[in-house]
Amino acid sequence: MTRSQKKGPFVDEKLYRKALHAKERGEHAPIRTWARRCTIVPEFVGQRFEVHNGNKFLPVFVTEDMVGHKIGEFAPTRTFKGHSGGR
Amino acid sequence: MPRIAGVDIPNDKQIEYSLRYIYGVGPHVSLLILKEAGIEPNVKAKDLTEDEVATIAGVIDRNYQVEGVARRAVSACIARLRDIGCYRGLRHRRGLPCRGQKTRSNARTRKGPKKTVAGKKGVKELSRG
Repeated sequence: MTRSQKKGPFVDEKLYRKALHAKERGEHAPIRTWARRCTIVPEFVGQRFEVHNGNKFLPVFVTEDMVGHKIGEFAPTRTFKGHSGGR
Repeated sequence: MPRIAGVDIPNDKQIEYSLRYIYGVGPHVSLLILKEAGIEPNVKAKDLTEDEVATIAGVIDRNYQVEGVARRAVSACIARLRDIGCYRGLRHRRGLPCRGQKTRSNARTRKGPKKTVAGKKGVKELSRG
């Protein structure tokens, strides 16, 4: 089910504030976050994040193409690499 | 048989339906095209005059992405997903379904023909029978 248009994109408040802050000051340290459900907004572009995948934090550098996706989409949560003896 | 948008040769169906043989034209777009061209949707394709065919071709040319252009647009979208490394892109790279379907069974459209694994439950009976 698609999210209702009238609500606008879901953006995690805290993460948004942190990202704006970092951008203003030109800080380059990655922002650690658990907010996988947060939509990537244009303000995040060029920012580095470390997104939790349930186990550890995976580095994600946000580019323009990623706008509109959820930040969790870039930190896979599953580890399956294939069965043994695969061709 | 009229030729519209390159090599497409719809047949002796009503024009509403024969237009759908063009890649990028479905039920909705087909009707929109005919409305703009001012042609009845239920005329047989073979009964169209040269002029009418030209009008349809013109409308498609001006307003719609079909065939090669449409195919390229789709693969560009997929390429973007692959490049940004998001979940859907990863699934495309692996040739697995990317809309959350189960892959324990089925998913044959994406995974291709069955690759039987020896020793797996049920395989013995199959090979004996």
